[in-house]
Amino acid sequence: MLALRVTRSARPAVQVRRLLVTAASAGTGFLLLSTLGYALGHPWASASAVLRLAWCVVPLAATAYLATAVARTDPGTRPRPGLAAIGLGPARLMAVSATTTALSSVLGSLLALLVFLHLRGDLTGLPFDGVRWEFLAPDQPLPLPGALTLLSLTPLTCSTAVALMLRPRDTVLATRAATRTLGRVGRQAAKAAGGRGGARGRAGSAPTRGGTGGPEDASRLPVSPPGSRPAADGHPAAGHRPAEGDALPAAGAGPTEADARLNGAGPTQADGRADGAAPRPAPPRPSPTALPWGAALLAAGLAVEAYAGGGATAAGLRLPGGLHGPGAALLGWTLTALGLALAGPGLTHLCGRLLQSAHPGAVRLLAGRGLMEEATRIGRPVGVLCAVASGAYAMAALGTDSATAGPLTVLGGLVVAGCALATLGTAAVEARQARAETTAALVRLGAPATALRGAAALRAGALLALFVPLTALVAELASVPLAG
Amino acid sequence: MEAPPDNDVLWARSLHFTHRDGSPALGGVSIGVREGEVLAVSGPRGSGKTTLLSCLSGLTRAERGEIWFNSAPLHTLGPVARERLRRDRFGWIDPAPLLVPELNVWENAALPLMLRGTSRRRAKAAALEWLDRLDVGDRARLRPHELTQAERQRVCIARALAPAPAVLFADEPTAPLHRADRAHVLRTLTTAARSHGITVVLATHDPETAAVADRTVCLLDGRRVHTVHLPPVGESEGRAACSLSA
Repeated sequence: MLALRVTRSARPAVQVRRLLVTAASAGTGFLLLSTLGYALGHPWASASAVLRLAWCVVPLAATAYLATAVARTDPGTRPRPGLAAIGLGPARLMAVSATTTALSSVLGSLLALLVFLHLRGDLTGLPFDGVRWEFLAPDQPLPLPGALTLLSLTPLTCSTAVALMLRPRDTVLATRAATRTLGRVGRQAAKAAGGRGGARGRAGSAPTRGGTGGPEDASRLPVSPPGSRPAADGHPAAGHRPAEGDALPAAGAGPTEADARLNGAGPTQADGRADGAAPRPAPPRPSPTALPWGAALLAAGLAVEAYAGGGATAAGLRLPGGLHGPGAALLGWTLTALGLALAGPGLTHLCGRLLQSAHPGAVRLLAGRGLMEEATRIGRPVGVLCAVASGAYAMAALGTDSATAGPLTVLGGLVVAGCALATLGTAAVEARQARAETTAALVRLGAPATALRGAAALRAGALLALFVPLTALVAELASVPLAG
Repeated sequence: MEAPPDNDVLWARSLHFTHRDGSPALGGVSIGVREGEVLAVSGPRGSGKTTLLSCLSGLTRAERGEIWFNSAPLHTLGPVARERLRRDRFGWIDPAPLLVPELNVWENAALPLMLRGTSRRRAKAAALEWLDRLDVGDRARLRPHELTQAERQRVCIARALAPAPAVLFADEPTAPLHRADRAHVLRTLTTAARSHGITVVLATHDPETAAVADRTVCLLDGRRVHTVHLPPVGESEGRAACSLSA
């Protein structure tokens, strides 16, 4: 019930994001159902049906990816001190989040079922009854268990992905992460404290920081990738660790914050105050390291594609294993897409580094460093979008001379491309939420809104300038051997 | 309309402000800030100090009342003009050190100068100078998360002082610090302000902090009061019953 209430009372932007999940789930569900329809219509062609089912993995993965991104930005399912106080800790909130996701994707699946039944002619009295595509199997009765099993795939995948992503981590992990990133500070503190156990105090207080912070603190942490999630979970877990009671200022901030919450007049003021009570900047996320892997996979994928397509011209270099044919092309595409997705964060980081190099002014500095900081969050969806775009480009280049794409291919492409785009948009929203506090501080400093907007535009422009040519290049390279 | 006195750099009359949810914040506060002084606005939590400061600095707009800065009305300015005024003439210190996490210390301190269009080299020189003066010069190349809270707060003060503002608004600048750090931070802040002729409006609920100021204005429940008469905290029965020794 709580999940329903949380779902109902959200802002329009949040509802739109959930509707995107619903739409993606509907598209995926329809694709899955049409696989079933094809199998019903062609009971002898099981290999082809399995291939169609296998292709459905791509939209399914895209939908789950979108669902996790949407769940991360969902303000309703974020750890909040008030909710934790009444027993709604991270574990329950994870359950709420997974239920919310399941709700939107089940809605989408039902929509897909309705449309499918309607197109088959089972539901009469509506327009477009006369469509008789073969994958609908209009003459056969639809096996309900099979349909329901297929339809439950999307909600299950999405909910599981969300639950796994938001699962409450053990505080041990948080401590390890904190000591790793705070190692230098801890040593300095120990030096400064003259061996009065300063390092222990600091390291011990580190995991509780996210907990004693206000909602901003909590909102800053969970949106980052799983690595820093545990810091937010330290909040309810603080009770398990009595040793942290003496860990100074962070622990003392709790009651004052509660006072502020009671005294604070408006919600905004209360938030600002709570924010002021215990603000510790989170250690920055490590810069992405997967760029070499991404580049290697990309190169390998392109090479496989070249071998797969260029059999006639490079006969002397043909691989003995027989890497050729459409299977090899598919493998090449997959490797290329994976490489692009892996290289995305690293390339974004590089982009930011280039942007802030060589005596930057304020705008360039803010834009470049922001991009470096958000490289993991923004870069991955950008990489995925590039992979999708290059795949679409190559398909379009090939599709001109081969058979025209059927409605299912178009639908699948739309679902995947839409999911990639929506995920990128959601990631941008997430980054903005995470930086809201810094932006507010900059505004109080008197930073002109034009400067902040200029920095954002510069960031977007730099990403476009790097990734559009890259995508075009990869797509061109991928399509050359296949076309030739 | 009565002109403000000449020696008041900032001057407000009967400011009223109500939060959006209807809770009252300021009920007719009048205040005058003289050139070059350190004025403490004291009062318990929830007495409207922060609201008063944000109204005075043009961050929020008072519902009624007038604010004059250097004999020019501030309450009639639009948001863009107020933003420019804030950038060029005012400084602001938050209760908590909110630094831009991805910039290092000197870049953070130089940011307001760079936002005003100062060249990078001059902004860096000014920032480093102020950081040195506030004893965090050796941390200039570190990122904010590597500093202690007191050092971060000093960086915030350097950031606010570096552009040499006409008026510096400090909203409980020592709230999250221990007493030793608190005294140090306050001393550096007031010394720097006095030596550079910067007017400081300091909100605080701590009488010790208010003691460093030239003048103190007391707020209580959104009104300016001259003597605070709060009922003394008596020993009620509940307290005695709850105490461990009883």
